[in-house]
Amino acid sequence: MTDLLTAVSIIFIIAGPFLLVANRFKLPTVPLLILAGIIAGLFIDEGATLELAQYGIALLVFSFGLSIQFSAVRTVFADSEVAAVGQVFVIGTLGVGSGLVLGVPLAESIYLGIAAALSSTIVGTALLDTEIRRNLVHGRLAKSIHFIQDLLAIVFLLVLGAGTLAADPIAAQLGYGLALLAAAVLVNRYLFDMIGRFAGGSDELMIISVISLLVVFVGAAESAGISIVVGAFAAGLAVRHEPTEYLGLFNGLESIKDFFVAIFFLTVGALVAFPTLEKLLIVAVLVVLTGVVKPAVATAILMYKGYEARSATLTSLSTDQVSEFALIIAIEALLLGLLSQLVFDAIIFAAAVTMITSSVSQRYDERIHRGLASRGLLRGTYGKIDEWSAVPETISDHVIIAGYGRQGRFLAETCERLGQPYVVIENDPVRRRTVESECAAFVFGDAMESYTWEKANAEEAKLIVSTVDSEPVSRRLLSLEFSADVILRESDRTTALDLFEAGALYVSVSELLAGQRLSQQLQDVLDGKLTPAELRDEQLTDLRPRTDAVSHRQR
Amino acid sequence: MVSEAVLTVDLAIILLAATLVGFIAKQTGQPTVIAYIITGVILGPAALGIVEVTEMTELLSELGLAFLLFLLGIKMRLDEIRHVLVPIVKISIPQMAAVAIVSMGVSMALGFSLLEAFIIGLALMYSSTAVVIKMLTDKDDATSLHGKIDVGVLLVQDVVVVILLAVLAAGRPDDVAEIATTLAVVLTLVAIITVAAIGASRYLLPVVFRRIADNKEVFFLIAISWAFIFVFVSDNINLFLAPLGIEAYMSIEMGAFLAGLAIAQLPYSKELKDRVNPLTDLFVMVFFVTVALDLEPSQLLAYSQEAVIAALVLMPAKFVIFFLLIDWQQFSLETTFLGSINMMQISEFGIIVTAVAVEGGFVGAEVLGFVTLLALFTMSASVYFIEYNRQLFARLRPALSRWDTDDEFEGGGREYRDHAVVIGYDEVTRRALPILAAHYDDVIVVDRTVEHIEALDDEGYDTLYGDFRNSTIRKDAALKKADFVLSSSVEPAVSKALLREAGEDATVFVEAEQIDDAHDLYDHGAHCVIMSDHLAAERLAESLETYLEDEETLMEAIEDDLELLHRSVTFPNAIDHTGGEVDD
Repeated sequence: MTDLLTAVSIIFIIAGPFLLVANRFKLPTVPLLILAGIIAGLFIDEGATLELAQYGIALLVFSFGLSIQFSAVRTVFADSEVAAVGQVFVIGTLGVGSGLVLGVPLAESIYLGIAAALSSTIVGTALLDTEIRRNLVHGRLAKSIHFIQDLLAIVFLLVLGAGTLAADPIAAQLGYGLALLAAAVLVNRYLFDMIGRFAGGSDELMIISVISLLVVFVGAAESAGISIVVGAFAAGLAVRHEPTEYLGLFNGLESIKDFFVAIFFLTVGALVAFPTLEKLLIVAVLVVLTGVVKPAVATAILMYKGYEARSATLTSLSTDQVSEFALIIAIEALLLGLLSQLVFDAIIFAAAVTMITSSVSQRYDERIHRGLASRGLLRGTYGKIDEWSAVPETISDHVIIAGYGRQGRFLAETCERLGQPYVVIENDPVRRRTVESECAAFVFGDAMESYTWEKANAEEAKLIVSTVDSEPVSRRLLSLEFSADVILRESDRTTALDLFEAGALYVSVSELLAGQRLSQQLQDVLDGKLTPAELRDEQLTDLRPRTDAVSHRQR
Repeated sequence: MVSEAVLTVDLAIILLAATLVGFIAKQTGQPTVIAYIITGVILGPAALGIVEVTEMTELLSELGLAFLLFLLGIKMRLDEIRHVLVPIVKISIPQMAAVAIVSMGVSMALGFSLLEAFIIGLALMYSSTAVVIKMLTDKDDATSLHGKIDVGVLLVQDVVVVILLAVLAAGRPDDVAEIATTLAVVLTLVAIITVAAIGASRYLLPVVFRRIADNKEVFFLIAISWAFIFVFVSDNINLFLAPLGIEAYMSIEMGAFLAGLAIAQLPYSKELKDRVNPLTDLFVMVFFVTVALDLEPSQLLAYSQEAVIAALVLMPAKFVIFFLLIDWQQFSLETTFLGSINMMQISEFGIIVTAVAVEGGFVGAEVLGFVTLLALFTMSASVYFIEYNRQLFARLRPALSRWDTDDEFEGGGREYRDHAVVIGYDEVTRRALPILAAHYDDVIVVDRTVEHIEALDDEGYDTLYGDFRNSTIRKDAALKKADFVLSSSVEPAVSKALLREAGEDATVFVEAEQIDDAHDLYDHGAHCVIMSDHLAAERLAESLETYLEDEETLMEAIEDDLELLHRSVTFPNAIDHTGGEVDD
């Protein structure tokens, strides 16, 4: 047994209880692994697991490359969401500036800037999982912002690998980086399926060859003198594939990744030395920058771009932590000798702290938003609501449709057909043009705001139908106590019942309806009333005339 | 300050070469184990000499063996092996003695001295855990009856190796009493750790894993952490016992196995098996490559002719010994044959035992070369015997018929056929269950949430805990033989994989969110694509129309829906289990 095995055993054993704590309090695992690493650092030689950690880094970035969907990249860049990147530069500058004020040399202050600016996808979007699934604006927005930041991190790594800020070496780095990416595209297009064929369905061979491919790319990056992270990213792009044929491969890669990435975070922790006063000062500044200033700046930018206050706040609150990519950048810089132990430690501490505070802030995001709004800190949006809305003064006895997704569109069409006046409420800037061109009357604002309802003349409406699958919105709507009947949407059964009791005329539970329809079809097929083939034809005929609604882009 | 760590070239070369040779092997129908061993020979000093064993590769190969045994442990349900425990002990002890005596005889005939022959005998009596278990796993035979016998015998051998290593490591023993003490200490330790593992699996682990099972990442890492506790304790047992004045060693493989065994008794072990498997494959690959990496050609080839002769004699001898002993325990002819033919090779432990003996000054380095070469030969050859064991049996069955006995042991679980598989328990599939149950004898539900599984178990459905993306889960659900498949996954990739794997005649219902996906799935052969959101949109529009035209009718419809909603709350909340809840 080697000393290395002892070291690995120790870090994993120490990680155990910390992971249990993470699970118990629903915290992200990353900060707890870092904390476990700090403890483990007392028992093991700090650099012992460094090489294994490098594999963790490679696999982490690799799986980021793996998960990229080019269609998604296009929509993200087509959106105004890119504007949110402005936040990175504002916070980055503030980070560098405060580093300089604290007496950190410029070359190292840059890393403080990066740490403050980039946010963690693992922590930020994992907590927003439900919102993303339910297609809420802030869920999607947060996902896009994190995605763009991760891409930026890769670029940073590429540039920092040059070890200097001179233009020539950076250009060379970019050149090598692009060459690697081109190689990745070629592998993806021509080699990968060939490997798949040769492996003949053996998951074991597929996994080993993909890991080999990763090692080749990492090795190529290393020999070209650029960051191995860029190589790993390119390898991810090379292997990117629809998982259908290779379920075993992608599942296997996930296990291997989880194992090595855990070692990475534990090692990062183990590399940290115990805090001094100076260190704590930098940590405090970083925490304030990431935890308070960053979301504030992000909210301001988003509101400026036309997002209403609530979506802007909730999105921004998902960015209030240090990114795992910042950790990679820090550790690479430390290894290259570009970063002192002091600044490195500060970044790691700040990451662990903000990742934990972030999960707390996210848990109470609605409350934080309400608190801010009630103190008048999120003012100045009514002008935009007025400017972007079109509601006839005299409208009454109308139907208000909240949310213009697939369901909202169906409802609006029904109203048009019946000649029933209606007003659509929508808060997603992406859908603004569609709403403008398709709907006779609309309010562009947040359904949580009473001003939006005032604008839609809710007092005199006949019926309000909300297609927004969000409990806070539904509750808020009921609490406004309009005389109109209210129809809501909810995917949780128990909550749906509560909403009925709270006064909703009707609560639509999609899954319940689908279940009902399914059992009917099932009974028909099993009783032999309908052969499976007949059912298939029937379903297809039913499906043909339809197309995906506006929500299609959110895939 | 830490120095810069670059990734080792050696590991990269090993990976690449193993992949390449692995592909060649796959194309020519050879098992991957062979590919890896050959890779090691090519890369090592015996041929190219471009790769050395580094700390990193050594770690990975140690992890390989440990994970292999951990994985094996995870597969062992005590209820399933209890009945073969006694025969295993009765087979393994005489087997080792017999093989050791035959090996001694053979080596003396080949010109080794008495002491050398004695050490060789001690080294050759084990079969290779790595080869046998890897092959059994690849062939999905580890839990078959002959698989269990082999695994059991290997474990007994493992205990013996550990004891022997402890004795050899202490140098030439002074007297028999010293050997006896070592023996007693090691057995006591194994017993204590076994009791600890079983105790934990009964009292501690169910509580812990019940809580974490729904969190995929934490679940996996905690299991790994658990394995490392055992690895660490077994490895450092000497340090723990030093204050008591006791000297003892345990193999990390033993520890890893017991850690796995403790987890195997939990209902969540299947899922874990699929998670640990890929890591094991990767590490075990490194293990097999490094087996041949240490050898200098001169040492390796000193007794090459003798090694060939010994291999030719010992493999049949081992087979016969196993065959007679297993047959003596009243297993069926097939079990006896398969169980014996799997165990014909010399173990990697043989190399380790000899290496320790060389260090202890019992024998010279050439003996190590002899044993290593012998191990390489026999491992490589036996892989083919294991690969084609069933074909061989079919050929030889007539000749062996006089050993045919009635099997006293029942093996294997039940097989599903023409059943219904339901993937994911949620609001939609929930309502289909009773309908399916009325029509099919077996309805099996696959889900990854502990609460759902427990509720379904209470309702009397067959359940499988795990992620449907894992191939073992699909195999256990017998997807290929299902007559009806219903999936609630909205991931097109999962649905497509399912459509591809389901049988020709099966009726398949899947779910989708987007119309494009639905079309795609129909193209792939789905019979019905459920689209909750679209359905709801239509219904809502209808309700709106009714509301605007005739409020009475709507009120009636609402009453119906409300009643439906009330009725359904008897089951646990099925939708919002992924966490990330909104304010409360």
